[in-house]
Amino acid sequence: MKVNRSDWFVTASALLITLGAAFAVMLVMIFIMSETPGETIYYFFAGPLTNKYYLGNMFNSAIPLILTGLGIAFAFRSSMFNLGGEGQVYAGGLAATAVALPLPAAGAFFGITISLLAAVVTGAVIAGLSGFFKMKWRTDELISSFLISNALIYIVDNFITGPLDDPENNLLVTSKIAEQYWFKKIFLPSNLDISIFFIAIIAVLAFYYLFKTHQGYEMRMCGLNPEFARYGGINVGKYMILPMLWSGAFHGLAGAVAVFGTSHACYKGFSGGMGWNGIAVALIARNNPIAVIPAALFFAYLEAGAKSAMINADVTIEIASIVQSVVFFLITAQAIYNFVKFRRKAV
Amino acid sequence: MSNGEFSIPLIHNSISIMTPFLLAAIGGLMTELGGMLNIALEGLILIGAFFSVIFAAATGSLFLGILLGILMTIFISWIFGAITLYLKANVFITGLATNLLAGGLTAVLSFHLFGTKGVLMFNDLPSLPSLNVPALHGIPVLGDILFGHNILVYMSWLIVVVAWIVIYRTPFGFRLRGTGSNPNAMSALGLKPQNYQMIGILISGFTCGLAGAVLTLNLGAYVPNISSGRGWIALVVIYLGGKTPFGILGAAFVFGLAESLSNYAQGFMDIPADFILAFPYIITVAAMVIMSVIQTRRED
Repeated sequence: MKVNRSDWFVTASALLITLGAAFAVMLVMIFIMSETPGETIYYFFAGPLTNKYYLGNMFNSAIPLILTGLGIAFAFRSSMFNLGGEGQVYAGGLAATAVALPLPAAGAFFGITISLLAAVVTGAVIAGLSGFFKMKWRTDELISSFLISNALIYIVDNFITGPLDDPENNLLVTSKIAEQYWFKKIFLPSNLDISIFFIAIIAVLAFYYLFKTHQGYEMRMCGLNPEFARYGGINVGKYMILPMLWSGAFHGLAGAVAVFGTSHACYKGFSGGMGWNGIAVALIARNNPIAVIPAALFFAYLEAGAKSAMINADVTIEIASIVQSVVFFLITAQAIYNFVKFRRKAV
Repeated sequence: MSNGEFSIPLIHNSISIMTPFLLAAIGGLMTELGGMLNIALEGLILIGAFFSVIFAAATGSLFLGILLGILMTIFISWIFGAITLYLKANVFITGLATNLLAGGLTAVLSFHLFGTKGVLMFNDLPSLPSLNVPALHGIPVLGDILFGHNILVYMSWLIVVVAWIVIYRTPFGFRLRGTGSNPNAMSALGLKPQNYQMIGILISGFTCGLAGAVLTLNLGAYVPNISSGRGWIALVVIYLGGKTPFGILGAAFVFGLAESLSNYAQGFMDIPADFILAFPYIITVAAMVIMSVIQTRRED
């Protein structure tokens, strides 16, 4: 895909305006809410970068966001909405844990492979269901994926606090998976683990699939103009299910990676926010799988900053949600792009 | 227990439970008719719930609480509408933004004002007055079912009737529906489709604000995320009600009944609480899929 240089400039400037507005809103919020705004701002911006622990954890929390961002990008590229990311991540994490728990004696490679596979299949089936309903009966996938995901969140909760609950632990958590399955840490003392390299490779492969293969081309064509795609002989129905399967698979994997790399068990609500943030990541990346990596890092930075400001200063972490909502509000605003374009022409 | 003793309180209960669904769905209908699926309903209900109860507690007046809560919700819906329509942003993404903003804003303000992100109890808040007409209460069955609800329940019925009149009997209603079915024709007539859609969105802000007020003022407390999916279920209620106000009234009642039944079932049977919480979503998906199956069959 050739990108016009000036198009690229317009996109980047519009993105800067959006992110600038988001940070401006955050600064205003901090000045209203905080007794010590200077300190809070320092902890928000510099906090995640001040030591190895924070820095590593920031990169670590970008890992599942890259995957959920890829999942959403695949769906968006095909004009499908997957709003069920939250439930798919959660169920994926649970499926991987449930497979790994009875397998403590298996070899690490075998055990990890089939656990991750279970997560991928679980996520794919859940999201694929919405794609299937859409193809078969034109059921709105946006609403159905959200509702299915929300029902699942409660059902996963029930497994975590019920059948799989760790009897020796009072917290709402499953037993820990066997130690040989834990992903290797690469940046102690932080939680950053080796999977970040694999995930980066997956993002590159996703780019290749979407932009360099026949199937990827057909998928994008259905997203750009389904009528035209149908006229061109593409099986449009197939591309209602396939992108949802991919999308769910990425989400399921995100849940498994978060468990195997970081928590080593399913906590109640461990994946909260990963699905929604994936949507923001995909939008900032303009659904480009490679650009998903920096976009996920940006979001991880935002979350880490809010966490640092909450621990060290006097604001609550939800301030990040407000900043995120500003990004959501403005990221698709056509008027901002037109404004930049117009200004550029005028110069 | 005789049959009547069981079913009368059940239906009475269903009517209170359905009220927030009904209100949110009527507001959502206005944007739906204007050609926009409004997924911001969920967040708007939450905004209404939070602000109506804290304003009621601050002013000591239920009326002022509801009024200010609704105004705040209309303001948020205006932001949603202005960015969507005038900055030309994707309505689904701005809808998500509204939901995210609602969750964040309520938590941040709750923490800033009350020092907690948990449940806010307002014990000295007066409870919502309920309508009791002793003379009519004597009517067997119907009297017991229709009276004794709080006034917001009756207001929601009034809103259904007003919505019907507005949609089918006023120039605004014709133009709103025109916007949804053929925005280009509207433009050709010299009317701005965005303005009608904006009014639709503001109406949804009004009804969702009231829906939120019903939730918290009934309880005298604010519970984080008290909207708990009602805005999403309301979207499905709009479809199931065939996109007409009275259809929505019927569909909302079915949902109220289902939820009220599942509450009763919890009392009788040993069903885990998580499954009870999942139940409304499951029946909503099921209803939605069945509806689309029927519709596709009819069209083919």
